[in-house]
Amino acid sequence: MSDVTVHGAARAAGETAGENTAPKPVPFHRLLLVEARKMADTRSAMVMLGLLAAMTVVSIAARGVDAGPQLGRLTTTAGIGYGTLLPAIAILAVTGDWTHRSALTTFTLEPRRGRVLVARCLPPLLATVAASLFALAVAAPVTAVTAALQGVPAEWDLDATRMLGWTATNVLLIAMALAFAMLLLHPAAAIATYFVVGTLWNLVGNVSELGREIARWVDLGTAVGPLAAAELTWMDAARLATAVLCSVALPMAIGAVRALRAEVR
Amino acid sequence: MIEFRSVVKDYKGVRALDEVSFTVEPGSVTGFLGPNGAGKTTALRILVGLSRPTSGTATIFGRPYRELEAPGWHVGTLLDANAQHPGRTGREILTLGAMMLGLPRSRVDEVLELVGLTDREARRTFRGYSLGMRQRLGIAHALLARPRVLVLDEPANGLDPQGIHWLRGLLRQLADTGCAVLLSSHLLAEVERIADRVVVIGGGRVLAEGTLDELGRGRDLEQVFLELTAKADRRAA
Repeated sequence: MSDVTVHGAARAAGETAGENTAPKPVPFHRLLLVEARKMADTRSAMVMLGLLAAMTVVSIAARGVDAGPQLGRLTTTAGIGYGTLLPAIAILAVTGDWTHRSALTTFTLEPRRGRVLVARCLPPLLATVAASLFALAVAAPVTAVTAALQGVPAEWDLDATRMLGWTATNVLLIAMALAFAMLLLHPAAAIATYFVVGTLWNLVGNVSELGREIARWVDLGTAVGPLAAAELTWMDAARLATAVLCSVALPMAIGAVRALRAEVR
Repeated sequence: MIEFRSVVKDYKGVRALDEVSFTVEPGSVTGFLGPNGAGKTTALRILVGLSRPTSGTATIFGRPYRELEAPGWHVGTLLDANAQHPGRTGREILTLGAMMLGLPRSRVDEVLELVGLTDREARRTFRGYSLGMRQRLGIAHALLARPRVLVLDEPANGLDPQGIHWLRGLLRQLADTGCAVLLSSHLLAEVERIADRVVVIGGGRVLAEGTLDELGRGRDLEQVFLELTAKADRRAA
């Protein structure tokens, strides 16, 4: 097995550079860095992230003009962008490697595919937490400026539970987007499914009382309602847990199993 | 260094590879030659762990690819030069590879120079690359970690005559330092110019194996190739 460790003979043509350090398996943090970088290393990705930031600022400012200087309310207004563009960004982060077939390269450099999949799903979730904080960072000056312009006192009180509930809601909805992306491995299909599923459950809920009850237990979009409002009862928590199981864990597990076993083409 | 031992691959009842066995030793450039659909790509994907054989083993340094400690360090792979995100620049694609392998960024400049991509070309997006440039980029990617084994699927495809000449020189130099190079091609003329050993495959079976001289025995190699593949076709029919 000395062949594997001895590396000195490996000289690419025309090279006299020094020895490589002893090769080790790719550590997880490196996979994480690479996957995070892939979210922002093309022009279209940068445009999407720029749009998201702009949308956040504009929607918060507009809400400030409309509703007055209330920090908490202005912060959660950013949810408009986070419910639309952010899922698309997350889905593209997961599907990109498959649609462009660069998975061939990724999985030859790191054959332990499970680690790659985990490293790929974490950056969008972390980005969602960062985005929630970014909303707060934008809402604070907007609150101050609006108060000054309108000549009314600013409402600075921020309900910490409410903020946590809102952030957790954002993260869970992005997790659902990731799960659909893993399940379908196709950006357009996953984005369409993400939005159609929400609409469909709304429809089901409006049609009958039974439909509404099922949606409370199965549809994440419905079940996160009490969490976002920070009024989570034990019953709501149980509904949320089953909804996460159905809308996030199940599609993600099916997608992961397939990605682990699939022939990479 | 590379060993296929009785590798069989079935796809829904169709036998893509049938008892494929051959080896590639260090210091040689082995051409994997066969018509389209002969099973070359399937065999190479099995070799680097992207697909599993139905039976048999494909090993590098005596181990299946997935069980190598750090496969990206020991084996440089180019399976499809077109399989990259079109929006990334060539440099970015190499940077991602270098990051994965824990190599310094200076290594990206080194491999770019090695394959003859200019700094300006490297800053362009992959979308605008010609097939020849994509091949050079893919070869640069395969060489990042100075691997001792190179697996290249149709690397000469899209290269102009100068490019093929360059590839020959590069692979020859690598083989002379003890590397094992396995490259596939469906064009005999390419393989004749680049490889010093040939494994001929047709209909999923190894039809012949040896140095160019051994196979030709003075005859035109193209004639040999056509005879071999025609025989395989008749057997399949």
